[in-house]
Amino acid sequence: MKISLNVNRVLHDLQVDAGENLLKVMRRLGFFSVKHGCETGECGACAVLLDGKPINSCVYLAAQAEGHHIQTIEDIGEHPELGWKLSKGLHPIQQAFVEIGALQCGYCTPAQILAAKELLDRNPEPDETEVRDALSGVLCRCTGYVKPVQAVLRAAAVLRGEAVEPIKDFKPEGGAIPVPPEWIPGSGGEPPDIGELSASPAVDIASRTRVLPRIQVTPKEETWSTIGKPEKKVDALKLVQGKPAFTADFEKRDMLVAKVLHSPLAHARIKRIDASRARELPGVAAVLTWQDIPRVVYSTAGQSDPIPGPLDTFSLDEKVRFVGDRVAFVAAETEEIANLALELIEVEYEPLSHLLDPAEAMRPGAPILHDEPEYVNFADSDPSKNLAAQIHIDIGDVKKGFAEADHIIEAEYEVPKVQQAHIEPHVVLTYWDEDDRLVICTSTQVPFHVRRQLAPVLELPIKRIRVIKPRIGGGFGGKQEVLAEDVAAHLTIATRRPVIYEYTREEEFIAARSRHPMRIHMKTGVKKDGTMTANEMIVLSDTGAYGCHALTVTGNTGHKSMALYVGDGSYRKSPNIRFHADIVYTNHPPAGAYRGYGVPQGFWPLERHMERISRELELDPLEFRLKNALRSGELHPFSTAWSEGREPRPEIIETCGLEQCVQQGKAAIGWDQKYYNSSWKKLPGKPHLRRGIGVALVMQGTAIPYLDMGGASIKMNDDGSFNLLVGATDLGTGSDTVLAQMAAEVLGVPIDDVIVYSSDTDFTPFDKGAYASSTTYVSGAAVVKAAQQVAERIRIRAANMMNEDNGLDINGVEEQGDKRSGRITPQDIRLTDRKAIALNGRSFTLAEIGHNALHHENQEQIMGVASFMSPVSPPPFAAQFAEVTVDIDTGEIVVDKLVMAVDSGVIVNPITASGQVEGGMTQALGYAVCEEMLYDDEGRARERDLRDYHIFQAHEMPELETIFVETFEPSHPFGVKAVAEIPMDGVAPAVGNAVLDALGIQMDDIPITPEKVWQAMQNNPKEAD
Amino acid sequence: MIIEYHRPQTIEDALALLARTEPVTLPLAGGSALNRPSAEAVAAVDLQSLGLDTISKRANYLDLSAMLTLQTLLDFFHSSVADDHVLQEAFKKAIQHEATYNLRQVATVAGTIVSAGGRSPFTTAMLALDASIRIVSASRKAEAEEIGLGDLLPFRTEMLRGRLITKVTIPLNTTLAYEYVARTPADLPIVCAAVSRWSSGRTRVALGGFGSEPVLAFDGPESGGVEAAAISAYSQAQDEWASANYRKEIAGILALRCLEQ
Repeated sequence: MKISLNVNRVLHDLQVDAGENLLKVMRRLGFFSVKHGCETGECGACAVLLDGKPINSCVYLAAQAEGHHIQTIEDIGEHPELGWKLSKGLHPIQQAFVEIGALQCGYCTPAQILAAKELLDRNPEPDETEVRDALSGVLCRCTGYVKPVQAVLRAAAVLRGEAVEPIKDFKPEGGAIPVPPEWIPGSGGEPPDIGELSASPAVDIASRTRVLPRIQVTPKEETWSTIGKPEKKVDALKLVQGKPAFTADFEKRDMLVAKVLHSPLAHARIKRIDASRARELPGVAAVLTWQDIPRVVYSTAGQSDPIPGPLDTFSLDEKVRFVGDRVAFVAAETEEIANLALELIEVEYEPLSHLLDPAEAMRPGAPILHDEPEYVNFADSDPSKNLAAQIHIDIGDVKKGFAEADHIIEAEYEVPKVQQAHIEPHVVLTYWDEDDRLVICTSTQVPFHVRRQLAPVLELPIKRIRVIKPRIGGGFGGKQEVLAEDVAAHLTIATRRPVIYEYTREEEFIAARSRHPMRIHMKTGVKKDGTMTANEMIVLSDTGAYGCHALTVTGNTGHKSMALYVGDGSYRKSPNIRFHADIVYTNHPPAGAYRGYGVPQGFWPLERHMERISRELELDPLEFRLKNALRSGELHPFSTAWSEGREPRPEIIETCGLEQCVQQGKAAIGWDQKYYNSSWKKLPGKPHLRRGIGVALVMQGTAIPYLDMGGASIKMNDDGSFNLLVGATDLGTGSDTVLAQMAAEVLGVPIDDVIVYSSDTDFTPFDKGAYASSTTYVSGAAVVKAAQQVAERIRIRAANMMNEDNGLDINGVEEQGDKRSGRITPQDIRLTDRKAIALNGRSFTLAEIGHNALHHENQEQIMGVASFMSPVSPPPFAAQFAEVTVDIDTGEIVVDKLVMAVDSGVIVNPITASGQVEGGMTQALGYAVCEEMLYDDEGRARERDLRDYHIFQAHEMPELETIFVETFEPSHPFGVKAVAEIPMDGVAPAVGNAVLDALGIQMDDIPITPEKVWQAMQNNPKEAD
Repeated sequence: MIIEYHRPQTIEDALALLARTEPVTLPLAGGSALNRPSAEAVAAVDLQSLGLDTISKRANYLDLSAMLTLQTLLDFFHSSVADDHVLQEAFKKAIQHEATYNLRQVATVAGTIVSAGGRSPFTTAMLALDASIRIVSASRKAEAEEIGLGDLLPFRTEMLRGRLITKVTIPLNTTLAYEYVARTPADLPIVCAAVSRWSSGRTRVALGGFGSEPVLAFDGPESGGVEAAAISAYSQAQDEWASANYRKEIAGILALRCLEQ
């Protein structure tokens, strides 16, 4: 049918299908700011303004929109400098999003800005509740909504004509937290009392609109001009404009659309598959079954070589192992034709007994999932027992440790399967380029692993594959998987045409990856004085149908969590720790990497168990934890026992700000006023409500030692700007920005002079990818090294230029500086304010130096290339607190506040770092109270959309507070440690412990749903009184 | 899958389209439900040009045209025009619980009722209010039918085939209370209860959170027995989201809490 659409006041005459939704048509018209996140209207990434109101275009027909005015973000604002033609500049809301750092991946940002515009157009002075309601229709998985809300309030002020403080000049609430005296070398100061350090102990609880987190800074930071500053994200401008920056935005002529036929059965052999009717359908370019492509066994886990896990996957197999497993690939001219073709593929299955209970997996007679002869074992995997991996670690003498204990406390815990739920689905575009090289443009966290791992699968040499990573609309580990790329690549090889394959939201739930569900047994020995003598964790982990990340995820469950408590006294030097894990196959969809990478699964049981012990033994929970916790200068107990399936090497903890984190967090949450205060727990006039407060201490890692490597190159341009090329993969975390900050700091330029290009296997140096909390640390160190090389070349040239100006011979300047003759040496020169400045004040601008180098004398390309691999993995530490209100009649929980005080080393950018914490806490909150993936007896998923799989929305968030307690990690030039994953670790146990505080009820599995709480109260009526 | 799109300008034209048997022809009341992916081939009759988007007070009643959006209704209750504050707060809560801001812009009163599952807060509230539904058909246009929502909900597919809801009427001489239990404040209810009380003492209790539609648990001349009725109504309400044992207990608690307001 023909329709006319008025988009941004321009009429478009179109031919559309009656059922074509507005989202598809808008993207067909080139309005790429309108994003696909789901098909059912829940995520809101596809929002446009229709007659000024935000509507979700995926559930709105294009035909419905005729006669209305559609507005997109392309009409809202533009880059303030666009050459000779006057630009209207950014809209104040866009500007505020840039300044506040209210975007991470930026995928939902256009929709959020449109929602904000509608609000401010009708209500110039909204309060925070109104802002949150206006944003409620747009899901954000990255930010925790804190900064978007701040940005809208700031934009409202600007639009009202009020002055707003520049973010760079903005001081954290209450000012920077003073440095404790003992941190200042030589001061010998005494440790301060608890609470003394807090700049504002009675934190303004009502305010949720802090621009910057509170930071306890290291003394070194005072000397830096860019590090530690709230610089704007380098990708912010394009993201607030909704520019075509994501994979699906890159369309190719003659592009086909791919679809996958998924298995309806949990376990079956394909007896017969006939695709002839599908192939005959007009518009179908290819249908591929297992009979049509090479049979190459591989692992989809995006990890360095050798893959630390079994090879147990084929692009297509004659056996299916979960509901959602692949059966066939289709490429067609349109999505509709591809879907019709799927229905025409005839498949006859031979159903096999399926295995859904991991406890049954290793029992005799259990159905065997992997009987294929091509299966390649890794370490202790044993497919004849459905064992994808097994880990057994004994540190010290565990038996002796238990014998020395006065008390032994045991309990069982359980954690669920949950989804990353990035708003941008998995999406990949493949095509042959003009040199007949296969280009894979993909939303991946691991572009170099994609290239290496797919080469044999596609029967191509690595050199004939180029992987390009555009912007990523969130990943959270879900895209540390070579998951969709082979589908499009096989179809491009089959058809010789470009192919795009984009997951639907349902496919994300039934056919992507998830967090490993686990059942955990804890056993801990403790002396009367609270000294831990031995600690044991036994894990049964369900990897699902394939063993991707099976070993390493579950290894980290023990490696990171069980390392935190070593015991006190002599046990500090010789802790007794046991970790055992069986990671088994079942006919559930495969698990994989998810932010935290096994560690949240470890801290739920560990920190719930620590609380259980402290209560049973009547110990102060924080004193008990700190008494036994790892400290700086001590050996990481697991460092000599396990290292992701590779050779372990000893590692000393250099920095640990855990005690400071506890002190700061306690002050912020009001711990001392609430924890032992029974009157606080009851709400006046509301006898059915109880309040509680809980804590969890956590640690993570920073990169994988002796393995993770990142590379960087920097070249200088003739205007004094620099191109920074990194293989590191910014999946919305802001890593491109912090890497640019490090380069800028070394080179003495503002961040605007560093142009970042990341993750293209043809053009950027290698990087292992975005995982293991490694980018700021590993890739950052590579950037610093490359920048130092460039800086040195600049200083040499500057010295030459200065000496030549003075009529001095330039020869030998580097080696024979002679101050008496006025000759300047490179060592005399520092780089700052875009200049090379000598001790005598003589200077050249970097533009003059760059110009000189490229055009005038002894021409050279000033550049540096470096890489970095760390021998250590310095752990960040944190104290996470939660405050909850529980309805004792219904079991309903409302989480009122979350506080995280974290030692992540030096914070390179407080805005991006606090954004990581806020977003991580929000994801972890879902893990605590509402997120889970359940299956029926046939292995069919309960959760298939974002309606049933609930993730937190803007208008239901608790108050979030972030505090950074900086330490200076000596193994990194700027003292950084990781921040991205640790926020996932402690929220759930802190909430669980808060419920315990409120009710006296032990909740041992998550999510803590109302019925579980209610049932626990029924079973323990006295406790809940 | 929508294979035809029509935008009639009159109710008569809409009814003529809806009277067809081939292809299956359904009203498009907003689209947030009908536009979801579906394998069934249907023709959609977009009702946006029929002028069915008004709200008006009539004595002790509020007439809501079928195409009135949930946000417009919410804005009405936010404004000072609506003066029944007791009704306002609970009704606003149920509307906000039904859908996020973006979805409320297109979700309509009638569309929400027609597409509601058991977990619909808005429909639960409307059922408690004893909302009256005006239905017209091509064959009997002169005699529009008025039917209670409770009578319509279980038989929506059959009763609305070839017909059209034009208006939904709710009383204003009643109080409304709405309570729910969910995993998070904005999550779908596991159990929700809405209770309406008239000055005469008449009390209606509707429950949601389970099944294919909200259910009427109680309608009596006074409130005695409300808790038992709620418990009884959900005594078999077991599904993959909650046990019947839990739901029935919570239904009783929420019904009582509504009564106490």
